[in-house]
Amino acid sequence: MTSLDPVRGASRRRIGTIARAVRRVAARVDPRRVGVRNRILVTFLGGSFVLGLVATLTTYGVTRTRLVEQQEEVAVERAVLAARRAGAELAVSPSDLAGAVARAGGAPRVVVAPWSTASSSGLVGTDDVPAALLERVHVGRVAASMVAPFGEGQAVVVGVPLATSGASYFEFSSLDGVNSSLDSLRTSLAFSLAITAAVGAILAMSASRGAVRPLSNAAQAARAIADGRLDTRLEATDDPDLRALTSAFNDMARSLQDRVDRDVRFASNVSHELRSPLMTLAASVEVMQSRRDELPERSRAALDLLAGDVDRFRRLVEDLLEISRYDAGAVRLLREPLLLTEFVRQAVAASSLPATPVAESGDVASMVVHGDRRRLARVVANLIDNARVHGGGRPAVTVQPADGEPPTHAQIVVTDEGDGLIEGEAAGIFERFSRGGTAGRRAKQDGAGLGLALALEHVALHGGRIWAANRTDGIRGARFVVELPIEVRSAAYHGDER
Amino acid sequence: MAIRILTVEDDERIRTSVRLALEDEGWEVDEAPTGEEALAAFRRAPADVVLVDIMLPGMSGFDLCRNLRRFSDVPIVVVTARSDTHDVVAGLEAGADDYLTKPFAPKELSARIRALLRRARPSAGGHSLLVFGDLEIVPDEGRVTLAGRELSLTKTEFRLLCELAQDPGGVFSREVLLDRVWGYGYFGDGRLVDVHVRRLRTKVEVDPAHPRHIVTVRGLGYRLQP
Repeated sequence: MTSLDPVRGASRRRIGTIARAVRRVAARVDPRRVGVRNRILVTFLGGSFVLGLVATLTTYGVTRTRLVEQQEEVAVERAVLAARRAGAELAVSPSDLAGAVARAGGAPRVVVAPWSTASSSGLVGTDDVPAALLERVHVGRVAASMVAPFGEGQAVVVGVPLATSGASYFEFSSLDGVNSSLDSLRTSLAFSLAITAAVGAILAMSASRGAVRPLSNAAQAARAIADGRLDTRLEATDDPDLRALTSAFNDMARSLQDRVDRDVRFASNVSHELRSPLMTLAASVEVMQSRRDELPERSRAALDLLAGDVDRFRRLVEDLLEISRYDAGAVRLLREPLLLTEFVRQAVAASSLPATPVAESGDVASMVVHGDRRRLARVVANLIDNARVHGGGRPAVTVQPADGEPPTHAQIVVTDEGDGLIEGEAAGIFERFSRGGTAGRRAKQDGAGLGLALALEHVALHGGRIWAANRTDGIRGARFVVELPIEVRSAAYHGDER
Repeated sequence: MAIRILTVEDDERIRTSVRLALEDEGWEVDEAPTGEEALAAFRRAPADVVLVDIMLPGMSGFDLCRNLRRFSDVPIVVVTARSDTHDVVAGLEAGADDYLTKPFAPKELSARIRALLRRARPSAGGHSLLVFGDLEIVPDEGRVTLAGRELSLTKTEFRLLCELAQDPGGVFSREVLLDRVWGYGYFGDGRLVDVHVRRLRTKVEVDPAHPRHIVTVRGLGYRLQP
């Protein structure tokens, strides 16, 4: 019965549109990709917003109805009194409609008689009375009221049939006061809805964080284990929901650690056990070698084979011991400042191809690397061994600054003139016992396949990188690059205190 | 007189093979399976060089070194399992002159022994008496006195002191000292120098924590203060 109806219809349409849009977005979002945390956040936030909205709308609706009703009651009471006055006037002078209107006094009013109408001012007339009300009061002779548009706003229109003369009295009671009260109510309700939503958001965030924390703790611990910190454990908890996760995780970590420890111990024990017989072998072979000339030719050939393989065996055991130290996390670098170019020259001179040329490219003369002299020398020696065995035997070494201005790293580049790397081989070549060359072209090699793996470990522990690629300078062959962090020049005078 | 080497090693096969290899160098070799027997053998017939395995049953290699040092300045080579553990430093601090890591080639061992024997007979260096405040060195007689009191230095400590004394006030890098005293090249272990300097300081310094004679030159090496 109010003019609000069309407005309500429009807002219902708008809500429908929003709901459809939300459904469309929701259909496109995969809940598994949104994440637990966001789901909790959205649920919490949406829930608190909907609850807030319902409470707000209810409050508003109830208040509005109540205010309008009050206004209506007042208007009806007043109109009934005024109609009584107008009726009395008409009873005295039945034709004086204007007099009756004047006597009624107060609000804008209209008196409708079967023969004429009169109104309190030009601003109000019979047209302002809703047809339904006019019909009900004037024709049906029943007092009634309704809310109708009036002037700029709305008014309660009260109609009272006058006992005499078949006339009716209509009075307009403006709802402007009610509407301005409702305006301020709307403002404060919107404000409190915003506060509710904000508080909801804060609660949602803390709840989602709290719910996800055990998960992120577990993820962190898992990452730590993946990084090699096998002694990482989740903290024990009293929460029955989390206890299962915590204890399962810790059991897993413990058994993993036990197993890795066992493997590392085994490799280390085997290598240690091999050292004693190796010592005997090496010393005995040497004794025989010093008498090589006294031996018949066949024995001499056998002795050479034996000596060669004892030496190879010795290097293999040394490499195995070193690599099992890495696996056990027991490697301690003996770092000292090394003048890079001098170091590389010395390392090359001590390698299996001491005549390998060493070139300098760029400003490397003053570069200092804070490194373990003998371990880094092993890296260079292993790369040269690799080039000797697989790379055609004619390696070249270049020392150069890495990219960056000023450079923070230096590179030791070992190039060879072999067949180069097969596609996809570059990374696997640093794996333990990698024989490289799937085509078997490296079948004759004498290396144990630990040299490059060890080089990788050494370089990584120095905070550097090592990689292999084919040469790009037009010559067939491979190119191994060791990149090491360099020290700022003045730092060469620190860190040497032992 | 033939040079005598005492090999202390509990594994009989290693001991025998090492003896064979060393005898090929023209040296006489005594063997002992334990530290206790080694001490007894050394007292009976002092050796020119002692080779000590750190992992011995009973008396450890460290203890054997310390016991030998109580009455002898004989050059000692310890054999360790690993080069980057505390074993090396502990062995050197117990009084060893050099170390080898198992498994080593006998050629390496004989090279080490030769360097130690060379070192055990320091050259005169042209000076008959070197004086550094209260510290006096008589190179020819192998004597060092601090405030008139005679010090007992091992042969390696004495050689190190003499090298530093060749150029009073001059800075000697670890590399130079490793080369001159131990005969090592670029890849010698700098800890040999550091531990020997530390040992030397406990003998020639009044307050080893604040050395006045053997001074560290940060990042460069050591210097004997004139």
